[in-house]
Amino acid sequence: MKKQLITLLAITLFFSCKNEKQSNGKLNVVTTTTMITDLVKNIGGEHINLQGLMGSGVDPHLYKASEGDVTKLANADIIFYNGLHLEGKLVEVFEKMKNKKTIAISDALDKSTLIGSEYFASNYDPHIWFDINYWKQATQFVVKTLSEAIPEQKTNFEANGTKYIEQLNTLKNKVETTINTLPKEQRILVTAHDAFNYFGKAFNFKVVGLQGLSTATEAGVQDVQKLSAFIIENKVKAIFVESSVPKRTIEALQASVKSKGHEVTIGGTLYSDALGDAGTIEGTYIGMFEYNVNTIVGALK
Amino acid sequence: MSSAQIEIQLIASLVAVACAIPGTFLVLRKMAMISDAISHSILPGIVIGFFITQDLNSPLLILLAALTGILTVVLVEYIQKTGLVKEDTAIGLVFPALFSIGVIMIAKNANDVHLDVDAVLLGELAFAPFDRLIVSGVDVGPKSLWIIGSILIITIGLLFSFFKELKVSTFDAGLAASLGFSPVVIHYGLMTVSSVTTVGAFDAVGAILVVALMIAPAATAYLLTNELKRMLIYAICFGVFSAISGYWVAHWLDASIAGSITTMLGLIFLIVYLFAPRKGIIAVLYREKQQRTEVSLLTFLLHLKNHTEERERHVNHLNEHINWQKVRSKTVLDLALKNNMIQLDKNIVSLTEKGEDFTSQAIDYIITNEDTQIEDMKDDFFLFRG
Repeated sequence: MKKQLITLLAITLFFSCKNEKQSNGKLNVVTTTTMITDLVKNIGGEHINLQGLMGSGVDPHLYKASEGDVTKLANADIIFYNGLHLEGKLVEVFEKMKNKKTIAISDALDKSTLIGSEYFASNYDPHIWFDINYWKQATQFVVKTLSEAIPEQKTNFEANGTKYIEQLNTLKNKVETTINTLPKEQRILVTAHDAFNYFGKAFNFKVVGLQGLSTATEAGVQDVQKLSAFIIENKVKAIFVESSVPKRTIEALQASVKSKGHEVTIGGTLYSDALGDAGTIEGTYIGMFEYNVNTIVGALK
Repeated sequence: MSSAQIEIQLIASLVAVACAIPGTFLVLRKMAMISDAISHSILPGIVIGFFITQDLNSPLLILLAALTGILTVVLVEYIQKTGLVKEDTAIGLVFPALFSIGVIMIAKNANDVHLDVDAVLLGELAFAPFDRLIVSGVDVGPKSLWIIGSILIITIGLLFSFFKELKVSTFDAGLAASLGFSPVVIHYGLMTVSSVTTVGAFDAVGAILVVALMIAPAATAYLLTNELKRMLIYAICFGVFSAISGYWVAHWLDASIAGSITTMLGLIFLIVYLFAPRKGIIAVLYREKQQRTEVSLLTFLLHLKNHTEERERHVNHLNEHINWQKVRSKTVLDLALKNNMIQLDKNIVSLTEKGEDFTSQAIDYIITNEDTQIEDMKDDFFLFRG
């Protein structure tokens, strides 16, 4: 028995001699969520090998690793992740990695401006990409990190960064114009989970989530009742489904409002924790943001 | 293959061995589901640990989880000893109760912290190589490799020291008691080892994989042998084989590693279930068919012995009289001929000396009906062996 085990080990070790690390001289960068992948792609461009772990429509709280992800992580030179417990247990894994450069995008931000948990001081809302100002800071942070890693490409990264911040400014103006067409008292956003708090803070929306911060918890009957009363009282026209959260709970909410004799429509699907499919307009951060705003304003008007 | 990939396979293999050893005894004692129960019932331990430390990463949480695991075992044992319910029912009573205590504690006191079994304990095999153990600045390998390695060494040590006691108390608790060692102590010892192994392995590889690695290899080995030592060795081999082959299936499909290993365990069980030489489905079906033919042969021979007239012994008559189909009568006739029980003369069948002898003995057997005799008869005459 022991002999067999040793043989097995020997075979394993023998096969392990070839190393698959790709080395075309570029830096291997791994990112977690689709938002971060898009950001790093805009800055790093063709000067880095970029690989994202999560695909479109994947809920970062509930992401499950595949075998290929191990190789991606093992070969990575820099890992960018969101932090603030967005990626669940993965954040812990990154924090413990001592032989790799792991960068939490949220470290770029001033923690005191973030929205915190009522009960536990060190827990913050992780959905920082919904504030364009934060995303600009994140852009500068990524530019700085990549420039430190590859100093010879510094000018390229900085040029890309400036260009991207330019685009983000344009986006911000465009979005503000759209939102300004919506009267202040109609700016109420009801969604499946509390992903849009920063969005609400930036654009004066009142944001109500059915499920709370973590998508792992389930909405209770009481939550649905309370929220439907709120919808009727404030004459909210539409509620929204999210791409990475099952729409069952929002449909339950709609049914609950209907049962009390009022009408509320489902305004459409918003992208919250993940971007749309790669290659589509919603597959980029800017496209996603515009789409969300147009959907929200269109449905609430 | 990178070092991360080797480490994952090594951790998975060690977990497989560490689970197969207590798993074998659990399967034999019909307590296989205890590992599944422990995966849920540790929640209150984790919650209390969090209330004390206010820190999700504290080792106290895992310690309390292991203690709750032992508490589960003690409660199950206590309920079961009343004799009012069976083992599985006792398990089913205890773990939902403990789990719901944990859920209520969270709902009351920590509703907006991400606190569940998942967040604290359940490891992901894919990330195990990235959580390193650093001793005075030197990287000595993944942390879970050390945890599971220590558990494994303790388990193996206990297995070698108490093998005889474990064996006797598993198969005959009464004998164990009369030989002077308490089956209760051995039982709790085993259950404690199972609980610690389960919790430690949860941390390294996640829940479903641990439950699968405890039960599937032992259950597969049980189909192949009735001997305890062999069963342990087979279970370990199946576990390690599934761990490594499962890893490569995951590599090939770019899928979840734990999922692929569990799938491999299921596949191996299925294959053994179908093709095991003694207990496998195909072997059982084949044996049943043989037995049917043997019974037919016996009926046929008795018929011959009872009837001396030629009309009754004509080949064609068999079809009508005993009401067999053509194929079956031909099989029986061929078998009897091959064994020199009968002789054919112009389609008239008659018994040979050996046939006479065999049939007389068979009648004796049917009259006295002692089990042992027919086995001897089979050895003397029979049948399919040559």
